[in-house]
Amino acid sequence: MQVTETLNEGLKRAISVVVPTQDMIAKRDEKLADLKGRVRINGFRPGKVPMSHVTKLYGKSAMGELVNETIDEQTKAIIAERKEKAAQQPKIVMTEDEAEAEEILDGRKDFEFQIEYEIVPDFEVADFASIEIERPVVDVADEEVDEQIERIAQNNRSYEAKDGAAEDKDRVTMDYVGKIDGEAFEGGADENATLVLGSNTFIPGFEDELIGVKAGEDKIVKVTFPEDYSAENLAGKAAEFEVSVHEVAAPADLAIDDKLAESLGLESLEKLKEIVKDQIVSQYGAQTRQKVKRQLLDKLDESHSFDLPQGMVEQEFDNIWTQIARDLEQAGKTFEDEDTTEEKAREDYRKLAERRVRLGLVLAEIGEKAEIEVTEDELQRAVMQQMQQYPGQEQAIFDFFRNTPEAIGGLRAPIFEEKVVDHILESATVTDKTVTKEELMEEDDLPV
Amino acid sequence: MSDIRNYDVIVSPVITEKSTMASEDNQVVFNVARDASKPEIKKAVEALFGVKVTSVNTVLRKGKVKRFRGHLGRQSDVKKAFVTLAEGQSIDVTTGL
Repeated sequence: MQVTETLNEGLKRAISVVVPTQDMIAKRDEKLADLKGRVRINGFRPGKVPMSHVTKLYGKSAMGELVNETIDEQTKAIIAERKEKAAQQPKIVMTEDEAEAEEILDGRKDFEFQIEYEIVPDFEVADFASIEIERPVVDVADEEVDEQIERIAQNNRSYEAKDGAAEDKDRVTMDYVGKIDGEAFEGGADENATLVLGSNTFIPGFEDELIGVKAGEDKIVKVTFPEDYSAENLAGKAAEFEVSVHEVAAPADLAIDDKLAESLGLESLEKLKEIVKDQIVSQYGAQTRQKVKRQLLDKLDESHSFDLPQGMVEQEFDNIWTQIARDLEQAGKTFEDEDTTEEKAREDYRKLAERRVRLGLVLAEIGEKAEIEVTEDELQRAVMQQMQQYPGQEQAIFDFFRNTPEAIGGLRAPIFEEKVVDHILESATVTDKTVTKEELMEEDDLPV
Repeated sequence: MSDIRNYDVIVSPVITEKSTMASEDNQVVFNVARDASKPEIKKAVEALFGVKVTSVNTVLRKGKVKRFRGHLGRQSDVKKAFVTLAEGQSIDVTTGL
């Protein structure tokens, strides 16, 4: 076997391999000898088939198998021998010519192929102990908690039935049947529906018409569906709703007290406040973490510069680009609407792709050095989380992850990343800095 | 007789352990038409494969009685020809015509 390097430029490598016919045939015959004992061919007892006949029948497929095996083995062996690490699956180039391929399969021609790949660049991990990071933290103000609780109270407001005409903000319980041109239409009828007047949940105009109705009253409400109504068959049509009102109820005073907490299944208002506060804190915590990670990645990005395997960048870019293109298409927008041109966007996203690849390599390297591993337990937990997202399909999700190792890989990556980030944060200098809520919630311009 | 008859005489090669053994004695085995005569077979093989035939032996194998869905049936009879080729000549029967 002959191995020659044909390209060594930057990170790119190309290696050409030639396996002589005799070697291929010798290996093929080994395979066939094994096969000979097992095949059943009419007219022959098992194991009694002459070699020449076996070769005639199975020679080609055995050679095809052999070709694939040779490529797999040799690619691995050669790259390992050169003490290099391929950034991606190496690309294999073989003859495209049918006749030539046929000759190789018949064992009449030397088997030649090229391995093309890019190596993982060698780089020094910058000392991350010197990295300084500001951790933005927010003090949760009591007003914020109160605000949140008021919102909860609003949603859980109680109503008291009253005699008399319905006013704005009152709740009306009713049956209604909607008709267009005297025909009831789908989704236009309901029984015992409740509607808070002025909440703008129904077709515009409907709620206004109901002001002044009394319990037990029947009324025909005439409204026109707006032109931009979501159901196309109804948009712009005039409809009549036959409404019979069962009850008119006035809102009770907004009460923030232990009773409210009790109606939510909690012991006291204090407890409710505590829970709400915890919720807010954890929300901010997630955001803080996001910001810290972002800063850290920025710093890492700055402190490392090395050549990137173009193939990886290309792949990452393609991923991003298809995503972007699809998003734009779904939103029905063009790049001009976003105040940019396609070329400009391409350039931006290429930079983003480069950043991602670089950070990916750096994080992987740091993780490897620090011997960070994702444990089975953590993976299990991640799978559980996925399962919780799709209630009722737990078994299917579980099977999916058990049967597709790639999917597990997809779960492993973010966990690994988080762990590496944690590891770096342990040795980096982190200072807390109090910021306002708005500052914390401010979005970064580019996604990480 | 016409050339087309040659193709009717020779039905198929016989590839079995026995025929492989026969090939060591420079013999080739064919299934031939039920009504083919030895001279006919000799002529057909010489014409189709471009070889010299020294002798032809034939066997008429009677059809076996087989049971299919509980009913007795009979396979048709088969005539086989053992064709001996002149020294140094050969036919690769597995590649077909």
